[in-house]
Amino acid sequence: MSLPLSAITTLAWRNLWRNHRRTLIILAAIVIGVWAMIFMNAMMRGMIDGMVDTGITMLPGHAQVHHRDYLDDPSVVNSIAALSPAAQQALENPDIEAWSARVRVPAIISSERDNRGVILLGVDPAQELGVGFDSTDLLSGRFLESVDDTGLVVGASLLEKLETVSGRRVVLMSQDPDNEVAERGFRIVGVYEADTDAQEERFVYAGRAVVQAMLKMGPEVSEIAIVGNGYRDLGAWLPELRAALTADYQVKDWRELDGYLEMAVNIQDGFVVILAVIIFVVLSFGLVNTMVMAVFERIREIGLMLALGMRPATILSQILLEGLILLSIGLLLGNGLAVLSILPLQSGIDLSGIADAAEMAGMATTLYPVLHINDMLLSSVVVLVLGLLSTLLPAWRASRFDPITALNKN
Amino acid sequence: MNIQRVILALVLLLQSSWAAAQATDAKELIRLAMDHWRGSTSYVENTMTIHRPDWERTMSMVGWTEGSKNSLMRVTGPAKDAGNGTLLKDNNMWSYTPRINRIIKVPSSMMNQSWMGSDFSNKDINKATDLLEQYEHRLVETREQDGHAIYVIEAIPHEDAAVVWGKEVVVIRDDFVMLRQEFWDQADVLVKAMDTLEIKSISGRTVATVMRMSETATPDEWTQVTIGAIEFDIDLPGNLFTLSSLRNPRQ
Repeated sequence: MSLPLSAITTLAWRNLWRNHRRTLIILAAIVIGVWAMIFMNAMMRGMIDGMVDTGITMLPGHAQVHHRDYLDDPSVVNSIAALSPAAQQALENPDIEAWSARVRVPAIISSERDNRGVILLGVDPAQELGVGFDSTDLLSGRFLESVDDTGLVVGASLLEKLETVSGRRVVLMSQDPDNEVAERGFRIVGVYEADTDAQEERFVYAGRAVVQAMLKMGPEVSEIAIVGNGYRDLGAWLPELRAALTADYQVKDWRELDGYLEMAVNIQDGFVVILAVIIFVVLSFGLVNTMVMAVFERIREIGLMLALGMRPATILSQILLEGLILLSIGLLLGNGLAVLSILPLQSGIDLSGIADAAEMAGMATTLYPVLHINDMLLSSVVVLVLGLLSTLLPAWRASRFDPITALNKN
Repeated sequence: MNIQRVILALVLLLQSSWAAAQATDAKELIRLAMDHWRGSTSYVENTMTIHRPDWERTMSMVGWTEGSKNSLMRVTGPAKDAGNGTLLKDNNMWSYTPRINRIIKVPSSMMNQSWMGSDFSNKDINKATDLLEQYEHRLVETREQDGHAIYVIEAIPHEDAAVVWGKEVVVIRDDFVMLRQEFWDQADVLVKAMDTLEIKSISGRTVATVMRMSETATPDEWTQVTIGAIEFDIDLPGNLFTLSSLRNPRQ
């Protein structure tokens, strides 16, 4: 006796609702499990994206060209004199959105009251605005206007630490190529805000030509920061640029420049699967229990069906179908619930209450959950495949019943 | 020196209405005060007292200067600190600590740090001539006190000067003794000041023998330098301002 699929489906559906309370409970468990998986992943992604964003703004750029000794010894001695025509050409690649040639040296900034270590950036404002500085971050005053601008743009938090205000003069001190003190007074013309205090206290911006004159260096720069179009895949311009550089210079992408960031991104990618599996393992106990109970209650009934000539394969598929229906409804509701709960949060979650902790992890104070269709698919597939596998055990047992023994069970 | 003083006073009287000339004179006054304090060469024995509300320590030291660029200071007591030295030569600064037997070139990053724990920063010690080169000077007041003419000079740093102060005010007596040096911030608040508390005549010159540096916000914390002996325009050995002499005292 072979039943059409529609008849098996009807049987499975009705069996499912014989004990509707049990079915609803396991359904709720699946819905909550799936929702938790997707929601947690969206939060994790938001966190990591925020970290990468902050990290790339801090670097800045997706890749940087340096003198090959600069990263070991960030002194003005290790600077980039001039790029070869081939390298210049490589920077013109349409996939490169912007690049900025900057002087970058450790320096001491002092006001009347205090002094702090900072990174002094000598920039060309026309280039820098697309790379390390966003004009919307400007809190007051103005950004630099040219490479000869004698003004200084500092972070709001640094201003506070130095106990000075915009419009006053501060002194920057560093070392020239002969290791002698190089210093100059600058007037603060602009104040910017950043995601983290650490960033605000780290970078000060001045005109490139002014900094080069102060450091008694020629037209050299310390680094060329390059922004491509997206951080995950940098594209062909990176190897092209790498090939075009002479042996004295090197280009490194953000993964090489900031190993912590790379690790964070890799952990996140692995974590999506780990989280899905953990939640599923908990879920599967409930699922297996439900199906085992459903089979156990119906031993006589299954024996009768077998005695009437139903094939074991049909019994197997009927019980598997029950599991499939249960899982599908659960997945549908779980995914829907996840989308519904994440959409209202897309505008960002304010973390300023734990700003200090967030800052330690290099995160911004606003968390934007990121819903990836891939994450939803992945968790759905994991639940579906593993769910069916766990229904297979009770289904297999039911299809192997001996009709006589089964009928005599009371 | 007397003739110079008379000429200067005359110049000041005659030209005080001309701003440009006045600026030069104010600068000249400061330069003369510095030269008066230093001579072409000098040798000094002094003590430095660092006072805090809960502790106080005194170090004795000797020092030599040559022009405005070269100087050597060496601590002679207490025994714990004896031998610590500082050499200044052409805007560079080295310090020597016998306990670790090392000479360290003081890097730019340490310029704002305290010199031997006192209220002077390394920069105060190193860049004394900044007052001449990095500022615009203006004579703001001339007054009479105890039979001396007293000049009050306001010095405003150049726009790109490596100076954090909004202005400095220097009070100089007509015998070129610097009575007071004030450091004002850019909001016109007095931050710190160095006062001359005692003036004596030694080796034929009137010199400030007790000077105290203190911050306005913390008047009970100060550093006081007391001159014990001072000699001017003496012959100094050619190898005095060298790293080897910083390490191995030969004087």
